[in-house]
Amino acid sequence: MKQFLIFTGKIVLLTILLTIVLDGFYTAMFIQSKNRGKIDQVYNSEAEKYDVIILGSSRANNHFVASMFEEKGLKTFNYGMSGSHLFETSLMLKLMIERKYQIKNVILEADLNLAGIKRSDGISCAFLPYIHNSKVVKEQFETQTDFNELYYIPFYRYIKYEAKIGFREMFFNAVHKRTSNLDNEGYYPLKGVENGNMKNNIVNLNPLPHNRYYEQIKKICKENNINLITVMTPMCENVVGMDYFDKVKKAYPEIHNYENAVVENKYFSSCGHMNDTGAKMFTARIIKDFFNK
Amino acid sequence: MFFNSLAFAVFLPVVFFLYWFVFNKTKNTQNALLIVASYYFYSCWDWRFLFLLVFSTFLDYYTGIQIEKGKSEGSRKFWFWLSIIVNLGFLGIFKYYNFFASSFSDLLSSVGVKASPILLNVILPVGISFYTFHGLSYVIDIYYKRIKAEYNFVDYSLFVSYFPLLVAGPIERATHLLPQVKVKREFDFEKAKEGVFQIVWGLVKKVVIADTCAAYANAIFDNYTAMNTFSLILGAIYFAFQIYGDFSGYSDIALGVSKLFGLDLLRNFNYPYFSRDIAEFWRRWHISLSSWFRDYLYIPLGGSKGGIWMKIRNTFIIFVVSGFWHGANWTYVAWGFINAIYFLPLLLSNRNRNNMDTIFLRWNFDSVKVILNILSTFLLTCVAWIFFRSKTITDAFLYLKRLFTNADFSFQYLENERYNYELLILTGLFVLVEWNNRNKEEPISGKRSLLRLTLAIAAILAFGIFSDYKEFIYFQF
Repeated sequence: MKQFLIFTGKIVLLTILLTIVLDGFYTAMFIQSKNRGKIDQVYNSEAEKYDVIILGSSRANNHFVASMFEEKGLKTFNYGMSGSHLFETSLMLKLMIERKYQIKNVILEADLNLAGIKRSDGISCAFLPYIHNSKVVKEQFETQTDFNELYYIPFYRYIKYEAKIGFREMFFNAVHKRTSNLDNEGYYPLKGVENGNMKNNIVNLNPLPHNRYYEQIKKICKENNINLITVMTPMCENVVGMDYFDKVKKAYPEIHNYENAVVENKYFSSCGHMNDTGAKMFTARIIKDFFNK
Repeated sequence: MFFNSLAFAVFLPVVFFLYWFVFNKTKNTQNALLIVASYYFYSCWDWRFLFLLVFSTFLDYYTGIQIEKGKSEGSRKFWFWLSIIVNLGFLGIFKYYNFFASSFSDLLSSVGVKASPILLNVILPVGISFYTFHGLSYVIDIYYKRIKAEYNFVDYSLFVSYFPLLVAGPIERATHLLPQVKVKREFDFEKAKEGVFQIVWGLVKKVVIADTCAAYANAIFDNYTAMNTFSLILGAIYFAFQIYGDFSGYSDIALGVSKLFGLDLLRNFNYPYFSRDIAEFWRRWHISLSSWFRDYLYIPLGGSKGGIWMKIRNTFIIFVVSGFWHGANWTYVAWGFINAIYFLPLLLSNRNRNNMDTIFLRWNFDSVKVILNILSTFLLTCVAWIFFRSKTITDAFLYLKRLFTNADFSFQYLENERYNYELLILTGLFVLVEWNNRNKEEPISGKRSLLRLTLAIAAILAFGIFSDYKEFIYFQF
């Protein structure tokens, strides 16, 4: 029996050792990557200068045509991330500040995402490879209930989110296989209305009165002399509960309501996402209103 | 509580510790602990079905004794049939009643008679097909005087309820397991070590192979109308590896866990995808079920001894019943029927016992023939698996129709955000490892076992699917 207990102990030790080695290897592969997505690109850059940075969810990623800002002579990048919540958006801005970015304007899409403070697992996990190397990433996750497991158990984060940061993603990072995430200065154009779901019900959605992460973004911008332009972006015609945008305006008067800037369904790919034509119309309006001086 | 869950990772060491350090005085204390642990293990699914398990155990225990004690043939027959009817009755009610009721209603509807069948709102008790078959084999063996009835209720209960085999087999025989539980087990380091290796390899099969293949097989089968020929071929192959990894992985873990307690269970899989014909496949796949049906259904029906029609009848009965055992759906019946069609030519031409020897490959023409036979058997198996996996028989035929008519062999992007051809490399590696170790129960033991163990654990950690957790397929049977 003693022999077996020693044998079992060795297996446990071997497993722990393997988790440490694999953790170190995966992290090393992720840390050197800069062409897979927006997060690793920011992490691996330093002191970038931008006239305009666009932040938010897919409703920022698909709605702000960065090249139209560039045509105006404004160095711009769309850092909107599909599926992200304000947790990830604020962390992205914090990472930029940690990387000493000099930003003149931040356009923040804040509307539906004001209704919650939960992190988006699918997006936030892409920050996890940097949790031991970036103070802001660590601090952001410290508020989460699973912080101890994610931070202290080696390789746990890669096992838990293996679909997003597991072996395949690590391998693609290692071989520098590029994605289309960074094309078009971060803007991702959507196609026409074919098969689009043009219905949405947001009746039960209510903006939180003091969204923690939105307040953080405001604070960071103020401290770093960044002009923050917060906007609500358009939705299709058939939305039930459109008064949500009025509720946002009431709770956050500084947010500009552009929900009606584009209305016809033909400019939408799905109810919450404009197609490329709609996005161009909307971006033109934003440039006209904020950058035509 | 699944074998690949955190709860089981806690449960197993606790039971192991209590078994060898606290309750190791006599075989009675060892057995009592294993029964309590087994009942706890089973109640983790649904404690209410524990009563069913205890009732089934008591029924077979009692009827077994009455059959043995029976002075007249009539009395023996009475207790025998009571056990058979009640056991199969439970199985019929919980597993097949709704299926038969709705099928009958559909049949009436097809001839214009409207019927609203009374359906039962019950869930299938986990493992019922397995422990019912344990009990049935025990009672049948007593009736035919192959074994003596067990008078020690604790020992018999352990034979039926032993947690490693309780929910998905292997289907044990009283002749094999009962003698082992009747003696005190002494700790055997080599056996326990083998058990650990088998558990680790079972986990590789489950979380690395089966669950990864499942992600792709599901994406393809659930959207087969949008898939091209190449994806549909991959779908069938991935499902073949999913079900093999899933079920044989489970069996490996069950056998390995049992070895930790000093008990050997029947081997359930012997590298079935290296079979050279369908008859060999059925000697290597789910061995405990195949041999159960052979001994308790096929041979009593006359086996292959009668005339040609008798052989054909018995072959179809055993395969169709075997398919139906898996679940109350026509797809399983079709799967069994297809396997009967595959098997019949071999039986009728007396070639069903041709490939009984070990497979050896050399640089000659015979080896090419062996490889081609293995590949063609695998291909036939994959076609049958399409019926097993599809939701309906119509879906299976449409899947096959599209596979043969689409003729597009380009790579397709799947909804699960991954390119599926990468998985071919992983399954290829798996096949290579299994091929090189086909003469052993698992590939970790032997020379350089530390290196093999390290690679296996690394594979579980790095390639295992944990975010999209899947339970074992055979739990639903």
